[in-house]
Amino acid sequence: MIRSLGADLIAISPELPDNTLTMAEKHGIPIDILSDATSGVLKKYRLWFTVPAEVKSLYLEKFGLNLEKYNGAGRWELPVPATYVLDKNGIVRSGEADPDYTVRMEPAEIVAAIRDIVAGNG
Amino acid sequence: MSLKEKLAQFDASRNRPPEVVAVIRRGIAQVRESGAAGLRIGEPAPDFELPNQRGETVRLSDRLSRGPVVLSFYRGVW
Repeated sequence: MIRSLGADLIAISPELPDNTLTMAEKHGIPIDILSDATSGVLKKYRLWFTVPAEVKSLYLEKFGLNLEKYNGAGRWELPVPATYVLDKNGIVRSGEADPDYTVRMEPAEIVAAIRDIVAGNG
Repeated sequence: MSLKEKLAQFDASRNRPPEVVAVIRRGIAQVRESGAAGLRIGEPAPDFELPNQRGETVRLSDRLSRGPVVLSFYRGVW
């Protein structure tokens, strides 16, 4: 849908490249999945955070989830989940970032924002 | 059903113990207070170059020269 409107979709995570390949294969999605292995881009976008100690213990002890396995040694760091719709000049025209990872931007809003850009509004 | 409704339904279906939910909620509040709020509407998105899943370098400005781009920051495959 996003592509048929003439827009590109790029996904970014702090995971090492092996895991972005797994992500691509798991979901069978023909999009670019980028690896920000130094968190430099997450920081530039002001989305970067260190997992709080209490949450780290929960992940390790209750969920059996060791982020270092995915992100590399010592990297208990994540992005605030976020979506941005950029126009051709790279300006953020619409978007959402929420530390509550169960909240994501509505696909209908993404499509509406692209339509608006393609129509040349604003 | 909207995505937000679907995600809320999924989250509720996991029936996590209250003590686990409490840790997660405190964690979310802590990240919110840290000020990691992302870009503002109207702000230029910083350019970058990163490798994709096939090891090819992707540069944001190259993609923008072809049209609008949707960027999605996600936590991981787990």
